[in-house]
Amino acid sequence: MKQAATEATTAMSVAELEQMARRIRASCIQMAQDGKEGHLSSSLAYVDAVTALYFGWLRLDPARPDDPERDRFILSKGHGCTALYATLAARGFLPRRILKEYNQEFGPLPNHSCRHALPLLEMSAGSLGQGLGVATGIAYGLRLRGSTARVAVVLGDGECNEGSVWEAAMFAAAQHLGNVLAVVDYNGIQAVGRSDEIMGHTALEEKFRSFGWNAWNVDGTRMADLLAVLAQVPVVNGQPSVIVARTRMGVSFMENDVVWHYRKPSEEEVRRALAELQARPLQGDE
Amino acid sequence: MRRAFVESLCLLAEKDPRIVFLTGDLGYGVFDDFIARFGPRYINAGIAEAQLVCAAAGLAKEGYRPLVYSIASFMTGRPFELIRISIAYAGLPVIVVGAGGGYCYANSGVTHHAAEDLALMSLLPGMTVTAPGDPGEVRALLPQLAALPGPSYVRIGKFGEPSYASDEPVVVGQARWLRQGTRGVTLVTTGDLAVPALEAADKVQRERGWSPTVVQFHTVKPLDEAALGRLAQDTHTLFVAEEVCPQGGLAAAITEWMVRTGTRMKFRRLGPPDAFVLGNPRLETVRKKFGYNAVALFEACLAAVTPA
Repeated sequence: MKQAATEATTAMSVAELEQMARRIRASCIQMAQDGKEGHLSSSLAYVDAVTALYFGWLRLDPARPDDPERDRFILSKGHGCTALYATLAARGFLPRRILKEYNQEFGPLPNHSCRHALPLLEMSAGSLGQGLGVATGIAYGLRLRGSTARVAVVLGDGECNEGSVWEAAMFAAAQHLGNVLAVVDYNGIQAVGRSDEIMGHTALEEKFRSFGWNAWNVDGTRMADLLAVLAQVPVVNGQPSVIVARTRMGVSFMENDVVWHYRKPSEEEVRRALAELQARPLQGDE
Repeated sequence: MRRAFVESLCLLAEKDPRIVFLTGDLGYGVFDDFIARFGPRYINAGIAEAQLVCAAAGLAKEGYRPLVYSIASFMTGRPFELIRISIAYAGLPVIVVGAGGGYCYANSGVTHHAAEDLALMSLLPGMTVTAPGDPGEVRALLPQLAALPGPSYVRIGKFGEPSYASDEPVVVGQARWLRQGTRGVTLVTTGDLAVPALEAADKVQRERGWSPTVVQFHTVKPLDEAALGRLAQDTHTLFVAEEVCPQGGLAAAITEWMVRTGTRMKFRRLGPPDAFVLGNPRLETVRKKFGYNAVALFEACLAAVTPA
């Protein structure tokens, strides 16, 4: 077996990761204002999870983004791309100032992630229910050529309405793709309402478990909990893993309100949010 | 054509370790040889066309050359948007295989009819769309599709179609002259309608002493416009025989070309109408009913040189 070329992660403490997550949130809010584009809730909620993944689990090297032995990260819910852009900038894959170019015509950071605009991405997204399926194909291909690289994919809870997610879930279990990790951003909110009301009692971790997956239900706002679960993946039973992360936006006046799926923050709201986070947006760094 | 497909798939897989075959739980017994020889490069993704498409996209991203295989109606229509995004938008070299395109499975009912497959796949930017007419064209096209940098579609028929001969090689994107005629009448075909077209041409030769030109467009997209320009030079009447819906097929592409280039020829499409075909008829009945079998093509040729 080929060894992963880069070892996981960074040596940051939990407190440092929490602070980084706050800066990434601040960056998302700044991008929403600068780019005049909403979908804030779709980004803010999974910031802790994507921070934990990029700084604590994925084996990546910003100096070698094309390394064939790198772990793959796929954002399946492409409308939540500002958190990914900010995390890529935080982790050194993108210059931080580039975040100022979010949602500019023909720019590098469109409001649904596009690999033609940003070739660094593993895939384009924006149409829901495809990332997990593509991840299983990548994972199968990696195993076929003897690679130990792994694939992580972030899905939305609303996205799990799509039947194709469950086709992929069956496939991953049937093919014993232990190199697949799915993280479901269970923020409880989708485009026009609350996930549990729209699709009934969601119980996603039970659903995945019954499909043959290793499944955890964690408080997706607690960095230490996220890291503790990630440390158990991949699981030796060779089956795929899913973390259902119960998430929050992390800004008190935005919590639990469907409107932040769409709403662009006003200048005053940006000020309030950044003050509450006590964090500077990354795009201000030189 | 199905046999030719399986044999060329094995040949291809032998030469190219990047070939991976994914089926949507179809082809009982047909792929046993492939499974025995290539093991994990055969994947049965189950009756899950969306997953078939996405998994193939992931494999292609990792450098593999996947083929996805199901009945043409299920392979193209059902996961259309996933093909659009995960394969075509991504520009990945996946070969989408539609088994039993057109009314191949006419007798199984509307669920199994795939008159839209070529039109649907032609809608996608960057997609090469092919409909070989005989086992030889399947064998020749498949390795060429596998060598393309982007996605492609191939419609294949069933088992036991006849073969035809031509001096012209089979080159993706190039129309193929199967018969050079003498009286300015040209039959353009795609898919296995080349077979009734050649039958009709033989009958005209036998009974009337002349022959129409027969040109096979095994590649529907990109359209071989150079070939159209060439055939227009000695064609006064052009027939396009196709088993595709009237919108978005070969005839539609050729009429668009004629209008765009100001090319004037008498033109008639012979093919199925814009309608669901009810009653579970057999394939031959469909072709007879809608006037695009060998007899109908023969009569069209005669009418073109002896106006009523």
